[in-house]
Amino acid sequence: MTGLGTLTDASGRLAGRSLEEWNAAYEKVENYFHALRVRNKALLGQLVLRVLERAARRAPAEPGRPASLIAAEEMDHLVTEWFAEVLQVSPAGSDQTLSTRGRLALLLADMPGRWQDQFLRPGPWPDEFVSAMRESFLRAGPDFQLSKMTPRPLDLGPIATLTNLGRIPYVRMVLVWLLFGLMLAGIFWLTH
Amino acid sequence: MNNPGISETPPLVVLPVPRAQRGQRLFLFYSSAVLLTGVVSWLFADLLWRTGWSASRTLLLALFVVLFLFAAIGCMHGVYGFFLQIFGTRRRITRLKDYRGQDISGTSTAIVFPIYNEDIVRVYEGMRVTYESLQKTGQLERFDLFILSDTTDPDKRVEEERRWCDLIRELDALGRIYYRRRLSNEGRKSGNVRDFLNAWGRRYRYFMVCDADSIMRGETLVDLVKLMEVHPTVGLIQTVPAVVNAESLFGRIQQFANRLYAPVFIAGLNYWARDLGNYWGHNAIIRTEPFMQYCDLPQLPGRKPFGGQILSHDFVEAALMVRENWEAWFAYDLEGSYEEAPQAMIDNAQRERRWCQGNLQHGLVLFARGLRGVSRLHLMLGICGYLAGPLWLAFLLTFNWIRWFHRYTGLSDIPAVHAFTPYLNLTGTAHALLIFIICMVVIMFPKFLALIDLAQDWERRRAFGGLYRATISVVAETAFSTLHAPLLMLWHTRFVVTNLFGASVGWGPQVRAADGTTWAFAIQRHWGHTVIGVVWGAFMWSLEPSLFWWFTPVLAGLVLSIPLSVLTSRRSLGARARRFGLFLTPEETGPPPELVALRSRLRVHELTEDITTSPRRPHASLAEAVLDPYMNAVHVTLLFERRLNPVYAEQLAAMGVGSPKISVLAEKVLAEGPDKLTPEERRLIMADPATMEWLHRQAWLRPDESLAPWWKAMMREFSQREI
Repeated sequence: MTGLGTLTDASGRLAGRSLEEWNAAYEKVENYFHALRVRNKALLGQLVLRVLERAARRAPAEPGRPASLIAAEEMDHLVTEWFAEVLQVSPAGSDQTLSTRGRLALLLADMPGRWQDQFLRPGPWPDEFVSAMRESFLRAGPDFQLSKMTPRPLDLGPIATLTNLGRIPYVRMVLVWLLFGLMLAGIFWLTH
Repeated sequence: MNNPGISETPPLVVLPVPRAQRGQRLFLFYSSAVLLTGVVSWLFADLLWRTGWSASRTLLLALFVVLFLFAAIGCMHGVYGFFLQIFGTRRRITRLKDYRGQDISGTSTAIVFPIYNEDIVRVYEGMRVTYESLQKTGQLERFDLFILSDTTDPDKRVEEERRWCDLIRELDALGRIYYRRRLSNEGRKSGNVRDFLNAWGRRYRYFMVCDADSIMRGETLVDLVKLMEVHPTVGLIQTVPAVVNAESLFGRIQQFANRLYAPVFIAGLNYWARDLGNYWGHNAIIRTEPFMQYCDLPQLPGRKPFGGQILSHDFVEAALMVRENWEAWFAYDLEGSYEEAPQAMIDNAQRERRWCQGNLQHGLVLFARGLRGVSRLHLMLGICGYLAGPLWLAFLLTFNWIRWFHRYTGLSDIPAVHAFTPYLNLTGTAHALLIFIICMVVIMFPKFLALIDLAQDWERRRAFGGLYRATISVVAETAFSTLHAPLLMLWHTRFVVTNLFGASVGWGPQVRAADGTTWAFAIQRHWGHTVIGVVWGAFMWSLEPSLFWWFTPVLAGLVLSIPLSVLTSRRSLGARARRFGLFLTPEETGPPPELVALRSRLRVHELTEDITTSPRRPHASLAEAVLDPYMNAVHVTLLFERRLNPVYAEQLAAMGVGSPKISVLAEKVLAEGPDKLTPEERRLIMADPATMEWLHRQAWLRPDESLAPWWKAMMREFSQREI
């Protein structure tokens, strides 16, 4: 079986792929772990190599696929399987939801701050870490207690009559004329 | 929408309690204002009479009567409030019953923060200090905090989610501080609160509304719940928030005025309002059940800006609550309630503009059947606050007209024979001066009384930096407000006129930063004021130089508006005034722990975030919600939660969430980048949890060649971020 432990072949290729391809795969996997805030360089390097080992083993069987894609898929499988194990759920058929739940659990359990050394490590894990991961949930609100507020009728009194006047045809036009007349009368009144 | 999950509760009915004393107090209070107005208007009429009556003088007198009545009502608030402060009164909510020992173990209170595109760091830090203060009381489990977001800016939405998650982790407040974002902003702030009540209102006996900049002391919150518990017929209690955290000169002047004058004025207000008080929209506790039953706002008939949704909902909600015999009180002697205010004149005017439309709209509600007379008075006073500006301008213009008419028609004043003046033995100028002095006294007297009130209390006096400094500050504040008043007059006139002509007010977020107004922006906003001031001054000078000097306070404010606006917005001048001991407030001389904590937290943010933050790329929020593994998990979880609310589920389905077209959009955004999608399409993608999950996975799985260059750039950025 070919792996990263194997040296490059005579043509300078590793597991049937060029070193540039593996470099790109390395970068991709490293970027993702970095985005997960795995900051310890030794740990980060170890995790990336673990993923690339798995990818390199798979690569010869899938000659048409780029190494970075295989590596990304392996990373995804590795992380999801680990989530399933820690959270004690079946990984089958629920990859996406499991991944979301797992990432949320990592955040709420403060993996980047407290448990970096446990990330992707096979069990058993410290009890505190396991319970922090399994009990993590995010609730945007308490249970709904739905009801429906409805406005009570408000009789606006004379104002309602006034607003209804606006619906009568030509009232606005007549009002403008009235205003004009009042203005003329006002000017006359003020100047006499 | 009919929903099987919706619960129905029989209406709560409170029978009216005897209120025999109210009529007397109202009569006494407003009669004092009317009496004062009557006497001074009489003198003014006599002044007009002695130079010969005319139609324009009738108009001038009418305007004088109305304007003086407004001033006299303000003065009476000061006078009555002063005597109540000096002699004390039991007629306040905190003195009616002993509430301190009240057990609140069976209560549940929601503290809600409706927000709309706010500075989220400031909002959350304010919430953090409120939470921590509440924690210290040992009563935290009786309260839940809710961030009710109406934010439309996608960047801010994602930031709100991220920072909320950080906040609950740091405070260990999961299940105590909640975050909810609406899908549409229907009904604005009141709609936001109503949406909360429809979803969770029945879980809480009380709810407390806070503004984005509100800070509440834990003990104050607990006291408010205790007060509600011992007074089962009270529907709402409004605290009187102290303005804090001002740094600019303008902000500090306003803050000082609020802290020194408000206790006297609100005591006066409480004298006639008592259990029929008002609601100012925030920093108030409300009994949930009657609010839900009686305070949903109807749509007003007609078109905008008067018809449609009620903008200034608070006054109307209080009126509706009071209409059903629930009491509303001002807890004006309860400390520990804080808010912030605009830091510059232009920001202040922007807020005034919004309030003006809301208050004028109350004109439609004013005559609604069934409202209590006192509620009508609250509404009326709110309207008058904005009508005073145009009426004052009309008064000044009418006066100018009279002088001009006399000058250019060559007519001379005809001294009237039957005037009161001979008995007063005053010359025309002395007569005018007397009225002018009375007007000034009526306006300034409450400030003087507030100073005397301060002098009575040694501790409070020290908190304001001593009586000498407080007196100098009052003089300086009065000088500033004299210059500011004509600007407000023109602004209010413009707001009222534009509203009357049907122009609506946009609902923009309030600018509260204390960075200061630039000269260019000040020129853009004030050039009109300056021109009016110069032209008006030249006109007055050409008309009658002696008259010009009477108008100098008004003209100076207008002519100097640009430098006044720029300089008073400066933090440096605010700090310098503080070094001189000017405009000091109790929260500045002895900051409460909540404000100290807030300031230091904000400082930490300033130091740690401003340096590292580079300009954000377009659609950075989408990148963050897709690429950041944690942010994506938070965002997706919140989206899944949102679908549990049947109302939101329905709205999401109507938006197209879950439809097959989203898959096409998702493929497009990956292959071509977010620029190729419309804002609506981007919003749709970000509202679909399954798509957001899928995008996260695909963005990290797919080879770089199959992704748009934008994704590669963002991926590099996210993986290198030091968080």
